[in-house]
Amino acid sequence: PPMGILNNSSQLSSLPLQILFYVNGIYYIFYFLATLAMIIYKSQVFSYPDDFLAPDLAVLFLMAILEVPRLYLGCKGNLREEEAPLGLSLGLTVGSVVLSLYLLAWQTYVLRADVVLNALLLSAYGLEAGLKVTAIAAFVS
Amino acid sequence: PPDARDAAQTRARSAPAPLTDVARLCVCDLLVAQCDTNCCCDPDCSPEDFSLFTTCSVPVVTGDSHLCSQKAAVYSLDVEANPPERIFKLIDQVNPSIFCIHATNYEQALYLKSPEMPTPENFDELLHKFGSAAFSADPQGWNMDTEAPNPPEANETHRYEYGVPIQTEDAFLRLPSPVVSSWCSDANPAGFLVNQATKCIRSVSVEKCDSIPALNMLFYTNSSILAFVLQVNVSVQSIVVQSLNGMRTLLEGNDVLRLPVILGELCSNVVLGVSYHITYTDTGEITEAAAAFVLGAFTKEALSVQQSFQISFTQGNTEPVPLSGNPGYVVGLPVRAGVRPREYPFPAGFVSGRHQLSLVAGTARDCLAAQAARAPVLFGYNAVSGCHLRITAAMECQPVAQTLLDVLKGQSFPEYVASFGNSRAQDVLDWVPITHHVISEQRISTTLQSSCQIPVSLGIEVKWTKYGSLVNPQARIVNVTATVTTTTLRQLPSGRERIIPVTSSVVFTDISAPAEPGYKAWPTINIKLPFDFFYPFV
Repeated sequence: PPMGILNNSSQLSSLPLQILFYVNGIYYIFYFLATLAMIIYKSQVFSYPDDFLAPDLAVLFLMAILEVPRLYLGCKGNLREEEAPLGLSLGLTVGSVVLSLYLLAWQTYVLRADVVLNALLLSAYGLEAGLKVTAIAAFVS
Repeated sequence: PPDARDAAQTRARSAPAPLTDVARLCVCDLLVAQCDTNCCCDPDCSPEDFSLFTTCSVPVVTGDSHLCSQKAAVYSLDVEANPPERIFKLIDQVNPSIFCIHATNYEQALYLKSPEMPTPENFDELLHKFGSAAFSADPQGWNMDTEAPNPPEANETHRYEYGVPIQTEDAFLRLPSPVVSSWCSDANPAGFLVNQATKCIRSVSVEKCDSIPALNMLFYTNSSILAFVLQVNVSVQSIVVQSLNGMRTLLEGNDVLRLPVILGELCSNVVLGVSYHITYTDTGEITEAAAAFVLGAFTKEALSVQQSFQISFTQGNTEPVPLSGNPGYVVGLPVRAGVRPREYPFPAGFVSGRHQLSLVAGTARDCLAAQAARAPVLFGYNAVSGCHLRITAAMECQPVAQTLLDVLKGQSFPEYVASFGNSRAQDVLDWVPITHHVISEQRISTTLQSSCQIPVSLGIEVKWTKYGSLVNPQARIVNVTATVTTTTLRQLPSGRERIIPVTSSVVFTDISAPAEPGYKAWPTINIKLPFDFFYPFV
């Protein structure tokens, strides 16, 4: 039996990680809507041909699709203190980081608001990744 | 050498690079090598010029204002100093908006695209893309049509259309005309169905008069016209010879070719005028071409002659039908009428050649002598005419009545009248039938029905209306009624004769309804979402 399950003072689930998941979920909804609105604004104000618009939208929607299982697996792994879903979530986090980097640096038009939103998201991912690694280490050992 | 040519081509292929340095950009520098007034960024201005300025017309030169941080050149005048001097500062301008462009990975975003330089290779493609009156701004919107549109000359069933140059064996049928100045230019082609008449001056000299081709009849007749099915030779219709004092005589025998000939100080048989007559069919084919020449002569003193050219087109195999209006009847033109031949199963239309609505000629006194002369009914002109008929006792009733009816109505009285001045015989619905009435003059209904009734007057009443728009109403015939009034012929005692006046009249009545205003349709509210509103879901 996993150690510390009967004694509530030595639980292995990470509380900061859980809080971060919760905050991340809410922030991501705001981030997704804001980025989508800004892409629509950019397509109206600037010259945004379809060849350049399609990859940007694809990346945004791919990130949204990845976010749901990432948060779900993370929550499940953290609460059940299982390292497998948490590890999977960490892998998905890496993918999300790459996509967020794309939206920060390689998007067709990077506005100042884009920089701010993506920087916040990347810092949240970074913090999450660190906490997940410690949680996995705690679960494994 | 090909290398130099290639190098020149590559140099020519790229336009000069766009200038993006704000310190060197100046929008108000319009005059080259001269100082523009109040233009503080003009490099041609010296400090003395700056001291005379009052303000700076261009205070700031920046790039795209959407960028977050960019260089800006600021020009201002320091009026406190003596003399006033221009201050130039290069600063970093920061856009405080949160939606400013921080970076862009799309090169064409901030600069206008350099246009493609035309070369012999891509000229056709550029002409196809940009040659029309409008073209799409989106480069993806141009679909490169690799299949070129069919050249019109390649098609066998092509026919001539209005304005198309008439083609001959070598080039085009030439109609020399003055271009820019009064001198003749031989490069003017004749357009199909375009009736033209031109006059131009050609410089001549007696020594070279037989070597100038444009003075020679052969120049105008030797190339045959291509009619896409057959070739039509230009035949010589007539030759008129004009002498030096201007007198013209028509030559007999028009198949003789007269070439310019030098006789001492005179050059004769010189073409002074050509008149082409082209006959065509309604399918656009040219069937005949004839040229009528005016040949003249000129002396040694003449340095130029005036030539006149003309071309006219007539349609062959048609009988011209005179129109009485287009489309409404014109006052004073004859009313068109006809009969409908009884054809089984469907009547094909109207025949209007011989049948015309007409009245007895006004100059006739004796009806029997006046049977041939008739006056046509002209639209809009009410007319009354008549004649006298001499009746003797020996005449029978029925022949007299029939004769009078023939006199009144004419030999071929029509049955239908065209409602418009240009109604075609094929349009059956455009023709109005003539209704006939017979009324008796006697007020009292006589019981003696067997007594002789002879027609004494024919009254044609034409009811017409104004049709079409209020500013340009067209006359349209709606109803035609022919009323024959009969009277009783009393038996004459033998030996006596009687003169009966016979009248025929036509009256035009305007039954136009008052004009109705026509309003345009109510404006509709047209709300439509842009087609890519649900992009990328739809």
